[in-house]
Amino acid sequence: MTEEPYRWLEAVANRREYVRDQLRGGTPVLAASLPDGILLVGAGPGQAKVFELFDRQALAGLGHPADLERLRQAAIDAAHTEAFTRAPEDVSLRRLVGYGLSPLLKANFEQIFTAPFLVELLLAEVGAEPAADVLVRLHFDGGFRAQPGGVMVAASLPEPEAAAQAWLQGVLAGVTERAAAAEWLLQAWWVLGANRPFGEGLPAEAERRAGWRAALAPGGERGVELGWLARRGPRAARYSAPTRAELGL
Amino acid sequence: MNASPPMAGDFLSLLAAQKLAPFGAPAANAPAQTQATTVFAFHFAAGVLMAGDRRATAGNQIVTDKVDKVLEIDATSLLAIAGVPAMAFEMARVLSTSFEYYRRSQLQPLSLPAKVRAIARLLRDNLPLTMQGVGVVAPLFAALDHSVQPARPALFFYDPLGAQFQSAGYVASGSGSGSIRSILSFQERYGRPKPSQMSLPEAVRLALRLLIVASEFDSATGGVNPATGGFATLRVLGPDGVGTVTEEQQASWLAEG
Repeated sequence: MTEEPYRWLEAVANRREYVRDQLRGGTPVLAASLPDGILLVGAGPGQAKVFELFDRQALAGLGHPADLERLRQAAIDAAHTEAFTRAPEDVSLRRLVGYGLSPLLKANFEQIFTAPFLVELLLAEVGAEPAADVLVRLHFDGGFRAQPGGVMVAASLPEPEAAAQAWLQGVLAGVTERAAAAEWLLQAWWVLGANRPFGEGLPAEAERRAGWRAALAPGGERGVELGWLARRGPRAARYSAPTRAELGL
Repeated sequence: MNASPPMAGDFLSLLAAQKLAPFGAPAANAPAQTQATTVFAFHFAAGVLMAGDRRATAGNQIVTDKVDKVLEIDATSLLAIAGVPAMAFEMARVLSTSFEYYRRSQLQPLSLPAKVRAIARLLRDNLPLTMQGVGVVAPLFAALDHSVQPARPALFFYDPLGAQFQSAGYVASGSGSGSIRSILSFQERYGRPKPSQMSLPEAVRLALRLLIVASEFDSATGGVNPATGGFATLRVLGPDGVGTVTEEQQASWLAEG
């Protein structure tokens, strides 16, 4: 294999294609930074898409549940060891991703004789001010992009993901309430899942509102998963999982 | 301490696997130890009130009067420490990280019996230092019991070797605890109202007065002095979780009595 580098390149390209193909049916996860905190949204059978990592950090992802679980566990192990050996204040998303998850994913992806991680991840860290919020988009191959606050989407295909993110940036401008933000994020979730466009041909708002409610009807196979990282609070742990009813959805 | 591999959700075995075990071997010649003293807790009408004076001493020296001996371990657990703060604070840190680690990694909170045993386990790990008399810790623990509906606070105390005991009414630990246990026993039997029937302001007033009395008989107990702004650490555990009684509330409710 080392004598034939082109074979390695071909193998990696095949692997990328394989992972994308496997992820095709995954349902997206979304996050938005708001004045009072960061809201994360997904849809699953319960505690399957959106997770607490540490005091101010959360994770949302799509893909194979076992892979998502391994990465979630790796992040939690790293965060708690860091907090115990140094201090909880030293746990940061940039370090968790940059020195922990990203190298792990990249090393795994390039070892072509092992099974690749079938995941796409979105991570969030709430700051003291909205400008200090961090959202990170982490890909199955270890590539990642961090941004201060705003909106972020993780979907199985890059083009719809970018379109959803651009649309949400527009509609969420000026939105401060988490219930309103959740409504927009769930509409985007439905449009992505229904394979509809965000530009010309975007379904009308009434259809979008009815669409996600029908797809995620209470008692159905999947429900709304919400995660909330509060900017302020009496305790160090800022994560909670509000119910749909709490947000009036 | 377990050897690797780590047990799922067990933070101590994760630390052991990474050779980061919190308690090391004792030194042959231990220096003069800082100690911390009177802590107690009792049931009142709306939950449990846990209180601690704020003094730490080393021999006949007062090291500080600003120690917080009642610590929030997680959203539904409180630990009050009596004994050597170096070990006690480390135990609190281990417990807090362990409970949160389990809750986040296993996607469910640790049960009350497991929390109670986790403290006993730490005390047993600390046994060599305890037997040498340089690291004695005798904590109190309060946590919500979710096996009953609605969830109800439960109180526990430990001996330094790790034996755990549940108390129905009140618990106390530290050098000033003798006076406090006597008064609480009297109050629970003859008081009108009994501590378990008191409102929060009444319970806070009783707790502050107990510390004032304890400090008269025990020089290692800091007591309460409203004139100098010296109050206690008071935390409440109710069905909704943990809360703190501020110094302003303490001053106001003490003055009302």
